[in-house]
Amino acid sequence: MSIEDASGQGVTITQTGERGAFGGELLTVNFGPHHPSTHGVLRLIVDLDGEQVKRVKPVIGYLHTGIEKQMEALRWQQGVVCTDRHDYLSPPINNLAYALAVERLMGVEVPPRAQALRVIMCELTRLSSHLVWLGTSGIELGAMSVLMYCFRERDTIMDMNEEISGFRMHTSYIRPGGVMADATPRFFDMLAKFVREMPRHIDEYEDLLTMNPIWRSRTIGIGRLAPEVAKVVGASGPMIRGSGIAWDLRKVMPYSGYENYDFEVATNDGCDCYARYLVRIQEMREAVKILGQALDRLPDGPVNVDDRKMLPPPREELETSMEAVIHHFKLFTEGYSVPPGDVYVAVESGRGENGCYIVSDGTHKPRRVKFRSASFVNLQALERMALNHMIADLVAIIGTADTVLGDVDR
Amino acid sequence: MIAEELITDKGVSAGDEWITVPAPRLREAMAALKEDGYRLLVFLTCVDHLADASKEWPARFELLYEVRDMEKLRDLRVRAFVDGEPPEIDSVHDLFPPANWDERETYDLFGVVFSGHPELTRILMPDDWVGYPLRRDYPVGGEPVEFSEEHETWLTPPPEA
Amino acid sequence: MGLEDLVDSLGQNVLTTTVGKVIGWGRGNSVWPAQFGLACCAIEMISTATAGVDIARFGSEAMRASPRQADLMIVSGRVSQKMAPILRTIYDQMPEPKWVISMGACASTGGVFNNYALLQGVDKVVPVDVYIPGCPPRPEDLLNALMILQERIKAQGIVTR
Repeated sequence: MSIEDASGQGVTITQTGERGAFGGELLTVNFGPHHPSTHGVLRLIVDLDGEQVKRVKPVIGYLHTGIEKQMEALRWQQGVVCTDRHDYLSPPINNLAYALAVERLMGVEVPPRAQALRVIMCELTRLSSHLVWLGTSGIELGAMSVLMYCFRERDTIMDMNEEISGFRMHTSYIRPGGVMADATPRFFDMLAKFVREMPRHIDEYEDLLTMNPIWRSRTIGIGRLAPEVAKVVGASGPMIRGSGIAWDLRKVMPYSGYENYDFEVATNDGCDCYARYLVRIQEMREAVKILGQALDRLPDGPVNVDDRKMLPPPREELETSMEAVIHHFKLFTEGYSVPPGDVYVAVESGRGENGCYIVSDGTHKPRRVKFRSASFVNLQALERMALNHMIADLVAIIGTADTVLGDVDR
Repeated sequence: MIAEELITDKGVSAGDEWITVPAPRLREAMAALKEDGYRLLVFLTCVDHLADASKEWPARFELLYEVRDMEKLRDLRVRAFVDGEPPEIDSVHDLFPPANWDERETYDLFGVVFSGHPELTRILMPDDWVGYPLRRDYPVGGEPVEFSEEHETWLTPPPEA
Repeated sequence: MGLEDLVDSLGQNVLTTTVGKVIGWGRGNSVWPAQFGLACCAIEMISTATAGVDIARFGSEAMRASPRQADLMIVSGRVSQKMAPILRTIYDQMPEPKWVISMGACASTGGVFNNYALLQGVDKVVPVDVYIPGCPPRPEDLLNALMILQERIKAQGIVTR
């Protein structure tokens, strides 16, 4: 398969009687949508020559939620709850993409403290997303105990989410115009403790896996994705960084003040599953670094834009100001309208480039919301990675591609 | 460089550069842009401008191709307007591999036919689904919710559609 | 040795009960869930199985990959129109007696997504024993649902449905 022919998606299902390299008949195996691997409702139609994978055809859509249509029926500020649930391992990052897009169309800029709080939430989420990935990938490749360690720290992050927003997973914390509310002092205490302790925990995961002979033999040399192919198929996130290309939207197209933080883009030249694992581990360390910096130089000030047409007035004003009551009433019955136009904002999620493209026709509901999801694009590279590997390695490849089916199907 | 006569309109929307190209010559324009360094297709999608009063639209369906130059760090949005039933446009899956699934998705949800696509089938909805859900005249569906403002319109298309 | 001697020899070591109660006790304390994750709630389901909450305290840590070995289906997440027939097939493959927990708002009612793509409540395709509210519910909620289910199973006794 040449590089230019990288799509490889026009596969046809095996004709009866087609012969493999060893003279046997190619066998078509259906893999999913309900299968022992923990990566959601992904269905693969795999053609096998003996144990070797010859063709993979992903069948998706088993988690199609109609989020894009739903958001057309919701008002601008209501749409935030849908963004949480499409890539359900990194809700605040999706919130951020949507919020930045709406703010760019409205032409507002959030205060520095809100930007820093957004960065804190995004990096916490990146950590929890990578922790879920590490734990479930460990289970898939037979390392059961990693999950227990990973979810211990994930629960710490969930507790922090709960402290700052009142909810464990789908925080809806980042909203157009700022954040839900300022963080509590207790949150900062928890965060400081977390930043202090997390590097030691990452060492623990590495102790369990990095030099583990089973883990290494299951991942090294498996699922190779050459750098030039990774570029052509549009891979992003740890997929492209695991192929040695330092492409991180936080660095190349900074948003929400990421240019003020000092961190490295984790890359690895291995191009295989092990390289992607190392990249994610490194990213977790960098995320902790960013959290520490954000905590140290958190600016003071408001956490929301001062725009009564966009955000409700503070509760105490409602009792004294008639104008505030009118604004409150208008916002919660009709909502605000966004000037006509379209905008695309891309952010770096745990999986790669998660973008939000919105079109406004000037009314109080979006005309169109489109999510560019990293998993959807990364999954297209699956066939090229899995070709000529054993069927058991397919699980390792899906695992380290880290597709979230909610993100693929939306 | 993309030829001048291929660009019928251009501008900047909220900081994003965009150009409009004539739909029949889309492939030509995309190939020129690829030569120009825009080697990555970020996403491809469609917007249904049915009963959209914000502006005069040349046609009902607007196809959008966001392309990116990863060396010079610039993005460009390419628009093409198509009409008709079914709306039809050339496929670019061989120029930009990520377009393959995006085109299938756009076909699935908007019913836009990409001629030259190797396997233009439904991707997200079940194979036997009728209708194209993301068109504006397709109802949101679901079940009616009592005491909500959308109670009446939830199941039926909007009157102007 | 007469019957009285036998009873005397047993001392305090005998309990009398019914077969139904014993079976219910056994079934209730060894509910094996099918490993069937759908969406967001599946992550919280995994969380329930880890050390922090530890579903093993209630005898349900054995998540079976095959529905043939499971007697509880935890529908964890939204069920799309495309997934519904598969969900029903998996339910049919489970041996009797079997129970279903509908985890989260999406599985119970469709949640925030009242639209064309989702099944508005999994009870349209399979009978549900316990509904859990929340989006997603906390791991403790799932444990609570399991305890409610265990009480029901214990009360059911020998009766299959």
